[in-house]
Amino acid sequence: MSFELTKESKLVIDELLTRYPNKRAAALPVLHVVQKQHGYIPAEAEPLVAEILEVPPVKIREVLMFYTLFLQKEIGKNHLQVCRSVSCWLRGADRIIKQINEKLGIHDGETTSDKQFTLTEVECLGDCEHAPMMQLNDDYIGDLTAEKVDEIIGKKGQ
Amino acid sequence: MPTITIDGKELTVEKGKTIIQAADEAGIDIPRYCYHPGLSIVGQCRICLVEVEKMPKLQVACYTPVMDGMVVHTQSERARKGRKDVLEFLLVNHPIDCPVCDQAGECFLQDYYMKFGLYDSKMLEDKNKKSKAVPIGKHIVLDSERCILCTRCIRFCDEVSKTNELGIFHRGDHAELLPYPGKTVDNPYSVNVVDICPVGALTEKDFRFRTRVWYLDETNSVCTGCSTGCNIEVHTNKKREYKNEGRRVTRLKPRFNKDVNEYWICDEGRYSFTYVDAADRLGVVMKRVKGELQESTWAEVMPEVLTALQSAKENNKRIAVLGSPKMTNEDLFALKKFASQTLGVSQMPVTVLPKEKPFSDDFLIREDKNPNTKGAGYLGYDTDHKATRKLLDDCASGGVELLIIFHHDLEAGFETELVKSALSGAKTVVFVGSNANTTSARATYILPSCTYVEKEGTFTNFAGRVQKINRAIEPLGDSLPEWTIIRNLSRKIGKALAYFEAEDVFKDLTKNTAAFSGMSYSAIGDGGLVAEENGKLKQGDAKAAAQKTETATA
Ligand code: SF4
Ligand code: SF4
Ligand code: FES
Repeated sequence: MSFELTKESKLVIDELLTRYPNKRAAALPVLHVVQKQHGYIPAEAEPLVAEILEVPPVKIREVLMFYTLFLQKEIGKNHLQVCRSVSCWLRGADRIIKQINEKLGIHDGETTSDKQFTLTEVECLGDCEHAPMMQLNDDYIGDLTAEKVDEIIGKKGQ
Repeated sequence: MPTITIDGKELTVEKGKTIIQAADEAGIDIPRYCYHPGLSIVGQCRICLVEVEKMPKLQVACYTPVMDGMVVHTQSERARKGRKDVLEFLLVNHPIDCPVCDQAGECFLQDYYMKFGLYDSKMLEDKNKKSKAVPIGKHIVLDSERCILCTRCIRFCDEVSKTNELGIFHRGDHAELLPYPGKTVDNPYSVNVVDICPVGALTEKDFRFRTRVWYLDETNSVCTGCSTGCNIEVHTNKKREYKNEGRRVTRLKPRFNKDVNEYWICDEGRYSFTYVDAADRLGVVMKRVKGELQESTWAEVMPEVLTALQSAKENNKRIAVLGSPKMTNEDLFALKKFASQTLGVSQMPVTVLPKEKPFSDDFLIREDKNPNTKGAGYLGYDTDHKATRKLLDDCASGGVELLIIFHHDLEAGFETELVKSALSGAKTVVFVGSNANTTSARATYILPSCTYVEKEGTFTNFAGRVQKINRAIEPLGDSLPEWTIIRNLSRKIGKALAYFEAEDVFKDLTKNTAAFSGMSYSAIGDGGLVAEENGKLKQGDAKAAAQKTETATA
């Protein structure tokens, strides 16, 4: 499999590079561009990004394996990241997780066979006042209830 | 220049240096894992904590630059407690498999535990399991559980070999040192990462389970792998010989010399000692009887060689000598003196260039794979390959009665046909060398000589640095240093050379050769000596910053 940057991604990256004192410093935003384009960061992209940032590929891999926000495998269209840290847990995060487990038949790290949903249990996302909460793709959804979860799954699953 | 005080000692330190560098220069030992004087500074492991007056927190000595008036305490209660806590963290998931770990005995974890740790483990949880005994290169095995993530090996591959194979992946207690997928650590300098790994995470395949390090003896020497002459330690196991499987040299380790190899040696050099006890090693005197080489003795062969020399001389027949750049300055000097004084030989070639150009780079590895071509040149030998060809041509055309060859495998550099006719053209061929080859197989006599770990002497590296080798093990079988063989011949024919030790030859040599004038074994010392153009001698800097911990007092 080969990986290519689209024209648009290239333009964004070129602009990003101008913002930093050196190319290497742009590693995180550039990796985000790749992830945005492809949904995750395939191994083939590592040498490519390395070349752009003028570092050896191993340095890129170190970065993307350090941050859980960078994905290295394809996931479902909707990424349900449910917080399981203290506040959410006290307010019933485990029930929310169980509900998703049963409803979609997936556990932590798994994706539905129709590639619609991926469930990830995560640590505190800093939205404790709305516990229990989850992050759905780029958005926070707080004060979760069983109904709310059903609604999310129903709406997104269509 | 800032003046600082470390443990009550007042020091004037160059600006920009860090506390650990100042301490190293003053011989004050501060523990370290990630800091290595040959690599960039990262301040990663925190074991080097020291107390600095007026600074509220403990500071990392490796990363904190000196400032005028700084007062540092390396042994205060707080500093020691800080290090102890760091150590406890580093060992949280450590497997402590010292009984089966090759590093045991030269492990910084063990050393610092004994110095600062001495606590009882508070770990009740299961330890993290990681991969063990993973081959990550031709010579290297990785045990991830033992790794303390100091990144020394990564920085070596980034900064010294510049090959970027290694990285740390994942994070927290899942963080693991590994090669980049699809890569192996097989650069020409790879095994240095084993040397600098402060723990037993990286071990050398060749050394694995071979011996415990405390049975090893260390002898300072010089690598003979190429003309760079990297400074090394020869580690031998004389205490448990029965464990050696017939191999007397256990391993070579680089020895610091700022002016030659700094902290490093190449892999080729590291394993270049194997010829010492190889299957083709020559340990017995041999002579050809009815076309076959047979074992003999010095007592039998020496008179025969002498007779052959004598008769060639008396009949005005030509005697030719082919020296070798593998010989020490002492060997070469004794040979030249004997050959010119007694045998009437004036042309002295030494060089046989291999047919294919050997690997070299712009760091340590040089194309000339001989330790002493430069010395041979200084001593008046002809180091041109063509001179050797001419000598072989002369032999082939029947112009040479007796040929003495040192070490060379002529077929490595010349056409087999030429070699054959040259060796059969001379009536007598005396081969002096440590290992058998296609040339020795055609000799009339084989006189076994010592390898560099079995004798004393000096080599001159490509840059003209004269460096000393020392005897680490006894000569194998009948083998003798080349200069001794020559001296023994000289006692019976012509003018006797009055040498008893290699040093006697060296003394004579310094009196007679400009490039060595004023030198002595004691002046050469551990760092070597270069004769500079202005007639001054320049000593090498072999004083490494505190690398080992044994010297320090806790
Ligand atoms: S690395 Fe050191 S402390 Fe760890 S098992 Fe080996 S010898 Fe023991
Ligand atoms: S393998 Fe050794 S040198 Fe490399 S990071 Fe681990 S402890 Fe340090
Ligand atoms: S030696 Fe100073 S932090 Fe590692």
